[in-house]
Amino acid sequence: MKSQTAEKKYLPEMPQKEIDEANASVKSTSEKIMVDNIERMKKTDPNRPAAMKYFDDISNFFGQRKEEIEAEKAKGRKVIGYFCIFAPIELILAADAIPVRVNSGWYDTSKFGDRVVPVEVCPVIRSTIGAKMIGLSPYLELSDAVISTLTCDGMTKLSEILSDATQIWTMTPPRVKDSAQSLHLWKEEIKSIKTQIEKLTGNKITAKKLKAAIETMQKATKAFRRLQELRKGNPVIMGRDAMLVNQMSLWDDITRWIQKTEALCDELEKRAAQKAWACPPDTPRVIVTGTPMFWPDNWKLPSLVEEATPQGVLVGDELCSGDRILYDPVGIDEWTMDDMINGIAERYLMASTCPCFTSQDGNEDRINWLITKVKENNANGVIYYVVRGCMLYAMEYARVKRALDKLSIPVYYLDTEYTREDVGQMKTRVEAFLEMLSARVDF
Amino acid sequence: MYEPLVGTILGWIVAVGIALAGLLVILIWKKDRTRKLSYLRLFIQMVSLVGLFYSFTLSLWLMVFVIVIFGLTFFSGRFFCGWVCPFGFYMDIVSLIRQKLGVKYWMLPDRVNRALHWLRYIIAAVILISPLLLGALNFVPASQIHALFLRGPYRPYAILLSPLEPLVLPFTGAIADLGFFDWSISYPYARDIIFYLDVPQVTSIIIYVFVALTLAATFMFRRFWCRFCPTGISIAAANRFNGLKWMPLLHINKVEEKCTKCGICKRVCPVQVTEVYEQKGGNIAPSTCLNCMRCIEMCPYEGCLKMNLAGKTLIESRNWLEPSDVK
Amino acid sequence: MVTTAGIDMGIQTVKIVILKDGEVVARAKAFSGFEPTKAAEQAYAEALSAAKISSEEVSNVSATGSGMDMAPYASGTVSMMGADAKAGVFLFPSARTVIDVGAEEARAVKCDERGIMMDFVVNERCAAGAGAFIEAMARALEVKMEDMGPLSLKAKRASPINATCVIFGESDVVSLIHRQESKPEIARAVFDAMADRISSMVHRLGINPDVVLVGGVAKDVGFIESLKRKLGLTILVPEHPEYAGALGASLTAASRVKGDHK
Repeated sequence: MKSQTAEKKYLPEMPQKEIDEANASVKSTSEKIMVDNIERMKKTDPNRPAAMKYFDDISNFFGQRKEEIEAEKAKGRKVIGYFCIFAPIELILAADAIPVRVNSGWYDTSKFGDRVVPVEVCPVIRSTIGAKMIGLSPYLELSDAVISTLTCDGMTKLSEILSDATQIWTMTPPRVKDSAQSLHLWKEEIKSIKTQIEKLTGNKITAKKLKAAIETMQKATKAFRRLQELRKGNPVIMGRDAMLVNQMSLWDDITRWIQKTEALCDELEKRAAQKAWACPPDTPRVIVTGTPMFWPDNWKLPSLVEEATPQGVLVGDELCSGDRILYDPVGIDEWTMDDMINGIAERYLMASTCPCFTSQDGNEDRINWLITKVKENNANGVIYYVVRGCMLYAMEYARVKRALDKLSIPVYYLDTEYTREDVGQMKTRVEAFLEMLSARVDF
Repeated sequence: MYEPLVGTILGWIVAVGIALAGLLVILIWKKDRTRKLSYLRLFIQMVSLVGLFYSFTLSLWLMVFVIVIFGLTFFSGRFFCGWVCPFGFYMDIVSLIRQKLGVKYWMLPDRVNRALHWLRYIIAAVILISPLLLGALNFVPASQIHALFLRGPYRPYAILLSPLEPLVLPFTGAIADLGFFDWSISYPYARDIIFYLDVPQVTSIIIYVFVALTLAATFMFRRFWCRFCPTGISIAAANRFNGLKWMPLLHINKVEEKCTKCGICKRVCPVQVTEVYEQKGGNIAPSTCLNCMRCIEMCPYEGCLKMNLAGKTLIESRNWLEPSDVK
Repeated sequence: MVTTAGIDMGIQTVKIVILKDGEVVARAKAFSGFEPTKAAEQAYAEALSAAKISSEEVSNVSATGSGMDMAPYASGTVSMMGADAKAGVFLFPSARTVIDVGAEEARAVKCDERGIMMDFVVNERCAAGAGAFIEAMARALEVKMEDMGPLSLKAKRASPINATCVIFGESDVVSLIHRQESKPEIARAVFDAMADRISSMVHRLGINPDVVLVGGVAKDVGFIESLKRKLGLTILVPEHPEYAGALGASLTAASRVKGDHK
């Protein structure tokens, strides 16, 4: 019986030599791309904030942060990975484990994923499978367990496929958020994850520790919101830089991230006072929504927008890899264990705008989020970014388009793949869209 | 009945002293932005308690009290219940003690909560109709005086004032003597129980059981009594009529787009009002709402929830994590 | 007196339009081939000689098309959709929707009365809604591409095929041949399938009359008929539809000279 459970259900056997070669080649490409992305970001904004240096360094997947986690692991701390931003970070922190997000943004690994699943499948999924097959992602490899929330179909099967190689803890989110039974189910899921985290780490999550963790995350939200607030006025920071900072909160030590982000915000406030804008204030302001974009490879669209002629600037996004990561705080009424668990459960489920949800009025939370973002950040246009195979986002487009049409905010549907080859075509479209926006700004 | 002038002056000195102490605490209380409004409310409750304490000693015409409370509610909803009512204050204090003990609260199922709310109407209807059944109209000569002091057949109306009874009263008719300046421990509804059930021994046992039960229920469920208290009725009724929406009523207002439905407003409500969460946007005036504004205080989205009076915003939700707090 | 030129660096052909005070004075076309820049230089020289002016007289040259970055002489670029909108409204002031069907790409642009693009959609990377589809189908039917249109008009009824892509479209056509459908019917089926794709694309944008059809395929009567049927509208087609992009670029160049366009 034992041999049966150990048997691989999905992942094919790959010769070690091939794995090593693939790993080395993708790794070296990836390192080049990371450096190239940062160089391009520096070029776009010659007065790039000095505080960005830290985030550039930490963004290297194979650098400082990886070594830090390895050292912590050697000391006995556990690493808990997660896919969707439904994983209760507060609980992980309270158990003294290290949370890391393990979604893959590597284009080149998706071709390995093709060996397991058809090419019609969302490339984020394929790429993550591929990354596991060749052992590329350091955070995924270091994870003692991975929390996978069964949001979309891809995520559901991905956790099944990866359970061949990693310990996966699944969490089932209800598809309808605002009913008593949904919340009940989700609270039970949170409680069971809490038990599992406690079991793995051997640390009991006490009310005191949990309170400290919630307060840490509230501070993170504070810093995060401060940065997003700064993007509402004339551009003091390029969208890509802000996106990088946002995304680093997924991997970095959160306390250090808070310090560095606050420092960045201080610098940005000074820049705003000196009116030293990152790009001309009349640059068309764009908001991106849709499929998450992960560092390092999937930096395609943001780079295109901010390097295009006419230039655009990303002033915000509605991405679970961007402005949504830390936007919502856990609000606690009474600091009892029960209320804290309820607060965490509600924050992760109810405040989410993931398209896997629906309700009587559809996923209107997402529309409202987007409209607020467009209004508050004075966006001129919205780019609806979808990778082919990402059904849920693609299917919600019609509604988003109609909602934005009412505000006469142009929205452009841009679909792409995990590939570098279509940059030319994307460029044509993005530039036409930006040209349209700047024509609208002018008149 | 009338206290000597010196006593009244002393009383006012005590009241002002408590008020200043409360103000001082609020000024010191800077740490947590999510509790400032609650703190202000506790302070106002404290001041009201003192005010009511002395009003009772002056033995005002009690009918005026009933009319004032009911009249006030026309404009401000159950503001009275949330911010003034001494029994509510007592329950808030019990909740605070429970919080300090780290004990969790329980939730009534929404259906039970709603049923209790409707029960309020039945209780209140019985109270309001009973004087007529007791033949109040036949007491023609003395009816004015009786009505003013809620005596005789008008005695049932006094039940509506019971929650206003401070726990410490300067006159007897209470449940135990404290022997301190002739003040006694009292308890809401205790005097009503004595009035209607004056059997030696049995009455005091019933009162103790009543005190114990309400205390236990309040300890488990936040603001337990408020969920069916008949004094809350007129308020509820005034807010229920759509025709009265033009009046300068206190309303919670919600901006639909800013709401992410995070559910905090629903969880923090001491009387489990679900409308603020469920209703999409616009003016929200649920008849159960105490206007305690805890939801507005805890909402983490700037300007999403507001308290409006005649279209003017009194208080709105803030990003309580706002960066200005850092410095 | 303002003379401007527009270069449309298309996928198959390079088109040039020279404008003088709002009048088209010369047009020229050349196959892009392997060296589009050279082709563009030749076409440009041709256009200049047709207009009987020297290159110094041209105050601004703007480029458009998929290869706009390779365009010679150009001092600025404009997107193909922007150029289409400009040209459409210039040719027909009542135009509010411009459909451009080129060799390998189709797009629809919504514009306002000033010729400013308000919204656009692009046929997502599939030649089934573009000229290449007709070309491939003509090959399968063994007729000349120019004859496809007139041929389709002779069809008596519609026989549906599914234009998912050129390759599968071809196999669909072959199955029609096996069912012994006549050539006119198959030709019409090809145009209907294409018009289907284009019309659903336009519907995504929202139809705003008047509708103008430009681009190389707009010369094909068969396609125009099919599209009219699908959209249920009259469609305005200019005299030289394939020059719309170049015309739009030239108009943009003119407004750049005037300074009301960046």
